Amino acid sequence: MASNRTAPERSDALSPIRKLLHSSTLRNWLLLLIIWEIIGQLRLVADGALPAPSAILARLWVDWSDYPPHILATLEGASAGFLIGNALAIAAGVLFAIFPITQRLARGVNVALFALPPIAVSPILVITFSGMTPRIILAAIACYFVTMSATVTGIQQTDRRIVDVVRAYGGRQWKTLVHAQMRSAIPSILAGLRIAAPNAVLGSILAEFGGGGRYGLGVYLIGSLGRGEPDRLWGIGLSATVIAGLAYLLFSLLATRLTGASKAVTVPASPPATKAEKNPLVEAALITVSFALPFLLWGLLLSIMGTPAMIAKTPLGVFDYLFMMPNSPASLGKLAMALSETLPMTMIGMAMGLFFAFALALCSVLYPAIIRGFMPVALVTQTMPLVALTPLLVLILGRGPSVILWITVSVTFFPAFVTMAQGLSMVSRAAIEVPKAYGAGPVKQLWLVSIPASLPYLFAATRLAVPRALLGVMIAEWLATGKGLGNLLNQSRGYLDYGMIWSVAVVSVLISVLFYQIVVAIEHRVLTKRGMAPAQ
Amino acid sequence: MSAEHGITINHVSRSFKGRGAVVQALSDVSLACPEGSFTALIGPSGCGKSTILRLALGLDAPDTGDVMISGMTPFKAARSGKTGVAFQDAALMPWRTVEDNIMLPLDVLGHKRADYLAEVAKLVDLVGLNGFEKALPGELSGGMRQRAAIARALITRPEILFLDEPFGALDQILRRQMNIELQRIWMESRATTLLVTHGIDEAIFLADRVVVMQSKPGRISRVIDVPFDRPRKPALFSDPRFHALEKEIAEALDGQ
Repeated sequence: MASNRTAPERSDALSPIRKLLHSSTLRNWLLLLIIWEIIGQLRLVADGALPAPSAILARLWVDWSDYPPHILATLEGASAGFLIGNALAIAAGVLFAIFPITQRLARGVNVALFALPPIAVSPILVITFSGMTPRIILAAIACYFVTMSATVTGIQQTDRRIVDVVRAYGGRQWKTLVHAQMRSAIPSILAGLRIAAPNAVLGSILAEFGGGGRYGLGVYLIGSLGRGEPDRLWGIGLSATVIAGLAYLLFSLLATRLTGASKAVTVPASPPATKAEKNPLVEAALITVSFALPFLLWGLLLSIMGTPAMIAKTPLGVFDYLFMMPNSPASLGKLAMALSETLPMTMIGMAMGLFFAFALALCSVLYPAIIRGFMPVALVTQTMPLVALTPLLVLILGRGPSVILWITVSVTFFPAFVTMAQGLSMVSRAAIEVPKAYGAGPVKQLWLVSIPASLPYLFAATRLAVPRALLGVMIAEWLATGKGLGNLLNQSRGYLDYGMIWSVAVVSVLISVLFYQIVVAIEHRVLTKRGMAPAQ
Repeated sequence: MSAEHGITINHVSRSFKGRGAVVQALSDVSLACPEGSFTALIGPSGCGKSTILRLALGLDAPDTGDVMISGMTPFKAARSGKTGVAFQDAALMPWRTVEDNIMLPLDVLGHKRADYLAEVAKLVDLVGLNGFEKALPGELSGGMRQRAAIARALITRPEILFLDEPFGALDQILRRQMNIELQRIWMESRATTLLVTHGIDEAIFLADRVVVMQSKPGRISRVIDVPFDRPRKPALFSDPRFHALEKEIAEALDGQ
């Protein structure tokens, strides 16, 4: 009885604070704005690199006539890419879900598309294609993986009992897909589209960084970077954020309207399907094909398009450039040098971002009230084309190496935090209450339940962080520090050194894929041992 | 033999591989359910009673032996609309209204909905869901969902009805009520019925005979006939003969 009474008492003691914080999300934002205004007015950060919100708005008002063509151009690239990328993604997702073998064959392509740092391929796209095409392609790529995995997950997570009912009436693949799987995948697909929408905006902007075209928010941003007008830069950044946020909001509303009434009625209790026995020969063949497929597609695409070999390097062309030419050693040397500058920064930045995210996510378990004020801020960053805002950080932090770390930490921290905090919030209350019932304190509860239960989310966050970290470092190098892969890419663009542009792109994609695969391998080992499934 | 139009299970074995060990879910099981009979399968968890049902529905195939439904393979019988099924946990589609859920088998079998509108109204009435035709499953209570699932199982006027612990998720009181209603519904349709259940009282109250199964390996250990006349009244639950039968089945389950 005594222990029964302490629980409500404690929450009573906390509730005034909690209420204050809960109703204060709005107030927090206001506070942030006021502090920002003061800092801006007093020119406290890097001699005015962070202008006051009022100054940014005033400048936005003055510049307003410049915006429409830029916004329209970005929207055009983003929405065309959004449509094409998602159509392909949903079709691919359905195919993968119905015929799992196709997913295994396409794994190489999928991982490459997920892990490729857009900034690395944007120069390639700009030299191989013209007009809006590079933007559309990059926006489509930015959508593809999210929506594809959402479709596969949605279809695979269809309530097995519902599938059984359809099959019990003699329905096969097609009927099951039409009556059960597609419909039950809709919430998941919409959730994917919600993330894909701001991604498409970001993809288009990153392609604009790579050059080509006079209009677009990315073009505008890069063009204004050299002019030393922070208030204009911030105005452009804010407009990009607002556009991406609106895209996110649109699909959130759509999702709630369409799926509000049809939540699952009961919890499915059927066991997961048993795995078929593996034939080592077939396995090896599958892995080989899956690895070779991206290279085959790359060569095939170029030969279909008929771009001159001087500009468009096939896999063989890149190999020639790096190993068979007279100045191959020099090129390899430059590449190795750049790598040795980029890799340590990527690792350190990613480790720091993940560490902060994990620490803060664990705090959110210990002090739910305090974190509640921060979560909305973190969620908003999900919709921000954060990477596209790096020029603003360059402005504030200057061009030293610290800017790289800041950018990398900030692009990895937020998505990792959101993933982990959401994962931790899904740990069942009953599981936490068992140690509590035996008198375990908060730290012990963390250690016994929350940390082990959140492992899948820690890995999911790490998978997410890998390509972002590399992207962040490369952008910082390109725009600010003049070192590493990002800088090499930018330089080669200037020298029209096509071989090097392709080599940097290929190397950065390979590195990103390699890191990703390492994380997946560790995840697989750790989680299998503990009988856990990876989180999406 | 009228088994031609019922369910025939002939020397069926089925094993599963899981985590390195092979589990013999069914070992040489034979069972014949004549046309119009009501058979209850009862046994401990893992004795293979749900496996029998999945085999009979064509959701799974036996390693050896065969299963015939109305003289056809289970898949053919399912395709021709001869079977109806209700699972544990209603398994309604959360996005379809009650009416649309009841008509799901028609969509799968490719029958015209328009031909069945009177049948749907009759079934809604039979299971007592009048006024809830347009409701979504999320808005119904557990018992109402289960009744919708029963109506769905009956929509094709099945010759063979499979019930997999249809009331397993309900509380004891609701379960009794549903048992009484199911008997009434069954007496109107007279479909050959195979009921998988955990409840001894439910099995006796509903079935013509109770098939007791044992696990490791899954097999039939006894078949006990239930002599009571129909319609059986709720008072039967407290009849001494009912209790005697309950005791007999409980002992058979204990392996005596």
